[in-house]
Amino acid sequence: MNAAQVLNGIALGSLLMVLSSGLAMIYGLRGVTNFAHGALYMSGAYLAYSLSDRFNFWVAILLVPLALAVIGVVLELVFFRPLQNRSHIELGLITFGLAMITERLVIVIWGERTLSVDPPAALAGTTSLLGVDYPTYRLGIIVVALVMAASLVLWLRNTRTGLHIRAASQDIETAGIMGIDVDRVSLIVVSLGAALAGLAGTLAAPYVSLDPNMGNAFLIIVLIVVVVGGIGSIGGAMLAGMGLGTIQTITTVWSPPVAVVVPYLALVIVLLWRPQGLAGKRVS
Amino acid sequence: MSVSTIPDAAPAAIAPAQARRKPRWTLVGLGFGIAVLLLGLAVPFVVKDTFTMSLFLEAGLMALLGVGIAFLARHLGLISLGHTAFFGGAAYSVGIGVNRWELSLTAAVGFAVVVGTLLALLMGVLVVRASGMGFLMLTLALSQALSQLALQTSFRPITGAHDGLLINMPFDSTFLGLTPADIQNPGLFWPIVWVSLMVCTLGLWLVGRSRFGIVLEGIRENEERMRFSGYNTFRPRLAAFVLSGAVASLGGALFAINAAYISPDILGFTRAGDSLIAVLIGGTASVAGPLVGTGLFVWAQAHLNFGGNLHMFTGMALIAVLIFMPGGLTGAVQRIYRKVRR
Amino acid sequence: MTIFEGKGLTVRYGAIAALTDVDIALEPGVVHGVIGPNGAGKSTFIDALSGRRRPSSGTVSLDGDDITRRSARWRRGNGVARSFQRTSVFGSMTVRTQLEMVARKNDEPDLDEIVATLGLDEVADQVCSEIAYGTQRSVDLAIALIGRPRVVLLDEPCAGLVADESVKMLEHVRALCTERDVAAMLVEHDVEGVFRTCDVITVLDLGKVIASGTPAEVRTNPDVVRAYLGSAA
Repeated sequence: MNAAQVLNGIALGSLLMVLSSGLAMIYGLRGVTNFAHGALYMSGAYLAYSLSDRFNFWVAILLVPLALAVIGVVLELVFFRPLQNRSHIELGLITFGLAMITERLVIVIWGERTLSVDPPAALAGTTSLLGVDYPTYRLGIIVVALVMAASLVLWLRNTRTGLHIRAASQDIETAGIMGIDVDRVSLIVVSLGAALAGLAGTLAAPYVSLDPNMGNAFLIIVLIVVVVGGIGSIGGAMLAGMGLGTIQTITTVWSPPVAVVVPYLALVIVLLWRPQGLAGKRVS
Repeated sequence: MSVSTIPDAAPAAIAPAQARRKPRWTLVGLGFGIAVLLLGLAVPFVVKDTFTMSLFLEAGLMALLGVGIAFLARHLGLISLGHTAFFGGAAYSVGIGVNRWELSLTAAVGFAVVVGTLLALLMGVLVVRASGMGFLMLTLALSQALSQLALQTSFRPITGAHDGLLINMPFDSTFLGLTPADIQNPGLFWPIVWVSLMVCTLGLWLVGRSRFGIVLEGIRENEERMRFSGYNTFRPRLAAFVLSGAVASLGGALFAINAAYISPDILGFTRAGDSLIAVLIGGTASVAGPLVGTGLFVWAQAHLNFGGNLHMFTGMALIAVLIFMPGGLTGAVQRIYRKVRR
Repeated sequence: MTIFEGKGLTVRYGAIAALTDVDIALEPGVVHGVIGPNGAGKSTFIDALSGRRRPSSGTVSLDGDDITRRSARWRRGNGVARSFQRTSVFGSMTVRTQLEMVARKNDEPDLDEIVATLGLDEVADQVCSEIAYGTQRSVDLAIALIGRPRVVLLDEPCAGLVADESVKMLEHVRALCTERDVAAMLVEHDVEGVFRTCDVITVLDLGKVIASGTPAEVRTNPDVVRAYLGSAA
């Protein structure tokens, strides 16, 4: 094992961190697991492909999260808000249906073949770090994700909206009684969660290959990350995402078949040892 | 601790209030079930073309998976995305048993049901403490773990990895008097599948009406009060989970000997979703729900798959049913029936 | 003769102590009232005694044996039952089905008597979620009384009931306790009802016991008057 492999692990962990914090936020607020999160991530990656093809990667990284935020607004206004009095399970299954539809739309628009995106010229090539030449773009992923995570945490801790989000995640009804505009908070959280999924997709596009299955494959891992981190806990999801990504990548070097089961093994161990996850609420 | 008025439990449409359990109605229901069973045996004599008959057979096999899923939804309010693990696990067990250990077909099917049931026991220990969303996520994650394992290149000699597993059907072996060639003839294999399906359906229906069924309903309605009333709530949930897993396993084992080939898709994410969606569209409130839903699903798969958009239509159908017709088709029929009677 | 006892019970939620060093001793045939203003720790107290929440320190004992770490299920099986403040019944079942279900587990010889005493005959075949709220409270109480428990912990049985329903509910509790020689603890918001019904009263404020004794003693206790009755009366 060398530094490059550790960095690969951190890069994967960074993507998982961005993706799972969005899922955890939506879960915390609406009590709904957004099964369409993998599909949002995939749409982000494909949009980034088209935008960096037509313009360049930097346009993509600005516009894709915005586009996904708009999709998040639609998701909130068309499904989450009108159906908030339905059971969480029904809503969760609706997002499952949305994921199925999105997958097909992606195939209709971009086709079924595997696509790839080139990293932007400024980040092409390698950088010498810790004694290895490491792809600069992957370092970029790590930096962007860490900055993203740090600003998200600071925003939640230090702003009024952040306070409202945390209060509503604790207990959405009491928060409503206390005068917090729950609809507004929810709109922000769902669109932000979708934007983060878009950002993760964009960041991943030059790193992984794009195929219509990439969403599902990632969704499962992200679900595990969120359960391991403690359902609804944003900090827990970030830590678990980084941890799992790193451990899995490092295990791959040592034994690929073992690496595949690492997330599931982590899930089982955490469930047996701490059913409420590493941080946060009980699995309910 | 947050207390929400929207419980994270299954909605009433998925897990309904039970009608009073009068022994007379049990007999009537049983009689009706047996009549349907006998009628169903006539299908191969009515349906003459092989393609339609093979659809019936496929629906019957998939319905065993659906009946298992619906049982958990109805009596415990638990929605599983993981029963493909038992269906697929059993199917793989048939292949492995026949190919590697040269088991007879009967032994392989028995072995597969045991393996599938043990898988359900293992998964159940980990997941039945969770409820609602947590249960949904955990069953999905753990079933996908099995799928990932089956796809591992290092397991290629056993599972065939991405190539799938071709079962070398032993030509001198029979299953309930059927040769491998007979089993692959939908008309000849149908009676076995149909009887299995109806026996499982009626059996689970009786379980639901038994004292054990009442305990399950108590746990579904108010798990905490059950504990404070002196009941162990873990064991009955585990037992129900294992029972539903066993039914799905039987489906998988019969599927395997009929298909003689197992595609890794059988354990996959899409199959997990499809199996649940078929059940939800049919409705879980009545025993007929999973049968109707799976039948419709298989029919749509064969006839509506133009341009490869089936998956999208399925998603749309799922959303439409959940929003406009919670309780599925059979739930809607029940509602109309009640309105008309009033 | 004490059969059920809580000693030095303390429950902390993170840094906040909801309950500090509270003692209680229950005797057969005696109704022990626990009152206190909102946030006094009444619910936490009954949760700690009934096994719903494990106390941070202190012990719960039954017949002198430490049962602090026993499960709710074990306690019920050994004669300690409780009711719930938020009505806790089995909504989809008929009243009869659920009472019979609980009776099967707890060897109740005479379910009809409980049903009759609580006036549940008329609704026995109705689905529980469809009957009146006050009647649901009675079903909740009935579930706790099945199997002749020796200790019954009642969490605000009158919560949400109108005045005369409340009076009736407390009369039931009193009568059942005396007739069946049950050691009862009654956590209640309705102060006058508690003074009327109970033999012994413990007053909690901010998680601590500020007074304990007969209704007459408690009523005149200056701390109680200051902390609680002063504002309520």
